[in-house]
Amino acid sequence: MSAHRPRILVVDDEPQIHRFLGPALDAGGYEPVRADNATDALREIARKPPDAVVLDLGLPDMDGKEALAKARAFYDGPIIILSARDRETEKIDALDLGADDYVEKPFGVGELLARLRVALRHRLLREGAEPVIRSGEVEIDLVMRRVSRSGEPVRLSPKEYDLLARLAEGGGKVLTHRQLLTAVWGPAHEHDVQYLRVFVGQIRQKLEADPATPTVILTEPGVGYRFGA
Amino acid sequence: MTSAEPRRPDPEALLAEVGGSGRGRLKVFLGMAPGVGKTYAMLREARRRKAEGLDVLVGVVETHGRRETESLLRNLDVLARKPLDYKGRTLLEFDIDAALEKRPDLLLVDEYAHSNAPGSRHPKRWQDVEELLAAGIDVWTTLNVQHLESLVDVVWKITGVRQRETVPDSALARADDIELIDITPGELRQRMAEGKVYLAETAKVAAERFFKPENLTALRELALRRAAQTVDDQLMGAMKRAGVEGPWAAGERILVLVGGAPVASALVRAGRRLSDMMMDAPWIVAHVEQPNRPAPDPAAAQRLNEALKLAEQLGASTVVLTGDDIVSTVLDYSGRNNITQIVVGRSPTSRLRALFGRSLPQALLDRSAGAALHVVTETAPEPARPAPALSPLHALRQWRGYVGAFAFVALATLVSAAVDRLSNQSANLAMVYLLSVLATGIAFGLWPAVAAAALAALSYNFFFLEPRLTMYIGHAADVLTFGVFFLVALATGWLTGRVRDQARATSRRASAVTSLLQASRRLSGAAKKEDAAKGLAEQLAAASGRKAIILLPADGDIVASAGAPMLEPLSTADMAAARWAWERGEAAGRGTGTLPNAGWTFRPLQGVKARSGVAGIEAGEGADSDERFVLALLDQGAVALERAEFAAEAADAEALRRSDRLRSALLNSISHDLRTPLSTVLGSTTTLLEYGDKLAKPVRRDLLDSIREEAERLNRYVGDLLDMTRLEGGALEPRAEPTDVREVLDAAVERVSRRLGARTLERDFAGQLSLVSADAGLLEQAVANILENAVSYSGDGSRIEVAAYEDPDEVVIAIEDQGRGIPKADLERVFDKFRRLDQPTDRGKGAGLGLSIAKGFIEAMGGRIAAVSPVTATGGTRMLISLPKAVRTHAFLL
Repeated sequence: MSAHRPRILVVDDEPQIHRFLGPALDAGGYEPVRADNATDALREIARKPPDAVVLDLGLPDMDGKEALAKARAFYDGPIIILSARDRETEKIDALDLGADDYVEKPFGVGELLARLRVALRHRLLREGAEPVIRSGEVEIDLVMRRVSRSGEPVRLSPKEYDLLARLAEGGGKVLTHRQLLTAVWGPAHEHDVQYLRVFVGQIRQKLEADPATPTVILTEPGVGYRFGA
Repeated sequence: MTSAEPRRPDPEALLAEVGGSGRGRLKVFLGMAPGVGKTYAMLREARRRKAEGLDVLVGVVETHGRRETESLLRNLDVLARKPLDYKGRTLLEFDIDAALEKRPDLLLVDEYAHSNAPGSRHPKRWQDVEELLAAGIDVWTTLNVQHLESLVDVVWKITGVRQRETVPDSALARADDIELIDITPGELRQRMAEGKVYLAETAKVAAERFFKPENLTALRELALRRAAQTVDDQLMGAMKRAGVEGPWAAGERILVLVGGAPVASALVRAGRRLSDMMMDAPWIVAHVEQPNRPAPDPAAAQRLNEALKLAEQLGASTVVLTGDDIVSTVLDYSGRNNITQIVVGRSPTSRLRALFGRSLPQALLDRSAGAALHVVTETAPEPARPAPALSPLHALRQWRGYVGAFAFVALATLVSAAVDRLSNQSANLAMVYLLSVLATGIAFGLWPAVAAAALAALSYNFFFLEPRLTMYIGHAADVLTFGVFFLVALATGWLTGRVRDQARATSRRASAVTSLLQASRRLSGAAKKEDAAKGLAEQLAAASGRKAIILLPADGDIVASAGAPMLEPLSTADMAAARWAWERGEAAGRGTGTLPNAGWTFRPLQGVKARSGVAGIEAGEGADSDERFVLALLDQGAVALERAEFAAEAADAEALRRSDRLRSALLNSISHDLRTPLSTVLGSTTTLLEYGDKLAKPVRRDLLDSIREEAERLNRYVGDLLDMTRLEGGALEPRAEPTDVREVLDAAVERVSRRLGARTLERDFAGQLSLVSADAGLLEQAVANILENAVSYSGDGSRIEVAAYEDPDEVVIAIEDQGRGIPKADLERVFDKFRRLDQPTDRGKGAGLGLSIAKGFIEAMGGRIAAVSPVTATGGTRMLISLPKAVRTHAFLL
C-alpha cells in the first residue's frame, strides 16, 4: 500500500451501500469515510476535506442538490453523484451546480472506481495546468491554440476550437449542454442544443478515426459531453 | 343612429348579417285589408316555385271557402292540422312539430297575426314562424297592415275597430322580403259585392263599416307606407354593410316617459312611430320611480308593466329611473344621454294635479333645454285588454281599511255616547272622534283615514250636535265647531295616513334590501353547486310565496336539482318549457310567449360566462311577489351557481394535482425500493468479483449475506406490489373457511423471526379460541406485514407482543410494539398507500404498502383493523384486528 491513500467520503443513507462500498474502496486503494446524511457529510468536509466525495442525491435530512451547493461553497474537490436513472433533470441540475460526474444506480464498483480515478486525475491536471492535452492520437495545445492528429495539423473553426478546448480543459469531467453552450455561445443560447450536435459532429469528422464510434468527444445521452482523456 | 366613421362597415350590421345565415328567409305578403288576394298571390307564387322543383309544403292556409283559392291548393302538399281540445271544442291548429320534422325548402303559413289555441307551444303564430326560421326553414306568410302592433291606435282611430290579433313590428322588420298585394279600394269593394270576399253573416254589419272607402284608402296608405319603409330599412342596412355614407346620421334620440296611466301603451306606440319617422332613431322608454311616494295601485302597476313589455317588443330599450322630482330626474337623464325628443302623456290625473301645481308636460317644457317635447293627450280607455281580475283576497285587503275606518268611528260613537251620558260635555267628544281618525290612519293608511275623518264629522254632527239625530246644526257656534272639527279630522287623517304609508313603504323597501342581502350572503356562502341551487330555490320560494325549482345541466340535458319547499317532479309539459328556457336563454312557460299553458314560469340563470341553469316558479296566487326582487335573486343565484362551478373545477384540478403527486410518489417509491436492493446486490457482487482475493473472509461473508438479504427484500417488495395490484384490481377472492387464529399467528411470527434481531417477541394466546371465518393465507400475510412494520419502527432490545382474545362475536388479534408510536394526526392515514413517502427519514423501511395491504386483506375477509397509539407514556403502537367467528360448526367437530 502506498503511503497516501486518497480519502473518499461516501454520503448515502442506505447502510447496505456502505456495506459493500467500504470494502470495495478499501481494496481499491482508497480510504473510505462514511456519512449517513448531509449534515454529517458537510461537517466532515469542513473538518478534514476528503480527496473526493461520492454523494447520493436522496438524503434524509436535505436534498442532495442543496447539500452539493453548500459543499461547493467551501470545497472544490471532485464530487461524484449517485443517482437513480429516472431523475434525469436532478442529475443535470447537479452537474450544473458543480458536480464532476455521475453514476447511475444500480452500478458496479468497477465503474464507480474508474470514474473516481478520472475525477482525481482531472483535479491533478487542473492543478498542474498542463498546456498540451492528449486523447489517443489527438493533441491539443491550449497555449498555441493548435490541434493535431497523428502529428498532422487539423484546421478547426474558432467555435469548433473553443468547444473542443472547453471539453479538453474539463479532463474527463462531464460538461452539460448548458455549461458548454453558455461558455462557447453565451448565455442567450443556453437552450440551443442543436448547435452542439452540429459542431460536435463536425469536430468528430475532423478528429475521430471512426466518427461513428467516437473516442475523443464522448456523448452522455440527454446530459452533455465529456472529453475522452 | 350616429355613425362616427363613415365608409367603415358597421360591425353590428355585419354581425346581424352573419347571424342571419343559417336562418330561413321570411317573405311577407302584405295587404291593406282582408280580401285583397294575399293568400291567392302566395299560393300562385308557390305553385310556380314547386314547378321549378322546390320542395313546397303548405303548413296552414285559410281559404275561407273561396273557390279560386281552393283550386290553387290542388297539387300542393298540405300539412295535416293538429287537433287541440279546448273547453270541449276541438280546434284544428297548425302542427309546428310536423313542419319542423318535414323540413321543406319552403313552408307556407297563412295569417301571420293569428292567435294559436290555448295549449299550443306559442300563443302567437308569428312566434311559430320565428322558430321555423331559426330552424333554417324558409317561410312565406300573409299579413294585413291593421294587425301591426304600432298601428293599433291609428287603425282604431281610422276604423273604430281595435285589433286584438297583433304582430310586433319587429316580426315584420325581420322579413327578408315584403310583397305588397295592392288593389284599389274600389276594386276591393267590387270584389265584395261580387261575393269574392268571405264575410260571416254576423260580422257583416261591422264589416260594412270597416270596408268604407275612406277607411280602405287610409289603410292602403298605411300599407304602402309600411312597405316603402321596409324597403328603406333594407336599403339602409345594405348601405351600412357596404360602408356607404348615408343620410341616417340624424343623431336623434327619443325618450318616452310612461307611468301607470292608461295612456302608457299609447305613449309607447307613439314613440315607435316617432322613431320610425326619424329613420329608426334609438328610443328609450323610461319610468320614474319615486321612492317617497306610496306604491302605485295594482292596476296601474300592471299597466306600467305591460307598457314596458310592449316597449321591448317594439324594439325600445327600457329603463327605470329613481328620483322624487320627476322633472329633474328626467332632464338629468336626457341631458346625459343626448335625448333630442321627449314623449310624454297628459292624463286626467295630471290635470287634477295641475290645480295645485304645473302638469308634468308643462314643467318639462319650462325647464327642458334643447329637447323637443311631444305631448300625447289620448285619454282612451283600453277596452281591448281585460283588466286583471282582482282576487277576493286582494279586494278584501282593499276594503279592509274602509271597514276598519267605519268600525273605529262606530266605536268612537259608542264611547262618546257613554261619556255624553255621564258628563254632558259634547265639545270634548270631538276628541274621541279625532282619536278614531288617528287610529284609522295608523292602522290602514291615507285613504281610509280620510274616509274616517268624513265619517267622524258626520257622526259627530248627527249624534251630538243639537238638534241631535239630524244633520241640521242648530247653534251658530256649533257650525264653527263642526267646521273646525272637520278640518282638524281631515288633517289628522291625512297626516297620520301618509306617515303610516311612507313608513310601510320604507320598511317594505328595507325588508326587500335585507332579504336580498341575506340571500346574497347565503348564496355566496354556498361552496357546492347543490347548496347554491337549494339556497336559491328557498329564497325564490320565500320571495314569491310560491313553489320554486332549480334545474341544472347534466349530460347535455337539464335535471331538477333543487326545489322549495321540496323537490317535486315536473310534468312533461313543464319540462318542455324548462328545456326551452335552457336552450334559448329566454323565459318560457306561464306568462311568457312560449308554452304559456305550462304550470310554471321558467327563466334562464344567466351567469357572467355562461348559462348556469334554469329557475322555475310555479304559477298561481302567492304573497306579494316583487318581480324586480325575484329578478335580482335570479341574477345573484346565477352568479353563485357559476362560482360554485368554478370552485368545483378548481377542486377537480387540485384532486388531479394530488393524484399526480401520488403517481410521482409511486414512481419514486418503485425506483427507490427496487433500485436500492439491486444496487447492493450489484455492488456487492462486483466488489467480490473484482477484489474478492483482497478481502478478508468475514468481509466476503458479510457481502454475501447482504446480497441474500437484499434479494429477499426485493422479493418482499415485489410481493407487496403484486398483493396491492390484486387488491386494487378486484382479483382478490378470499376463501372464508373456519381458521384457527393461533396457527396463523405462529406461522406469521416464524416468517419474521429472522428479522427480529435484538428484539424479543412474546405470544399471549393460550387457551381456547373460537375459529374465525378467514382465509388463512391472507391473514398470515396481513399479520406478517404488521409484524414487519413493528420490527421496522421499534429499536433493538424492545419487545413485540402478539396476543389474541375473544369477544362475543369476534376474535381480536392485538400486536403491540414499543416503538416511538404514531402521531395522533397520522393515525387516520397510517393505512394509506405510500404514506411513508412523506417522511424521508423512514426510507428503507419498506414502501409503505404493508399496512395498506393488511387493511385490504382484513377487510376483504369481513374483518376490521385499527391502530392505537401511544400505548404507554413512551409511545408504542397497538394494531387490532377483529375477525368474525366462524359459524358454530366447531361444536360438532369437538
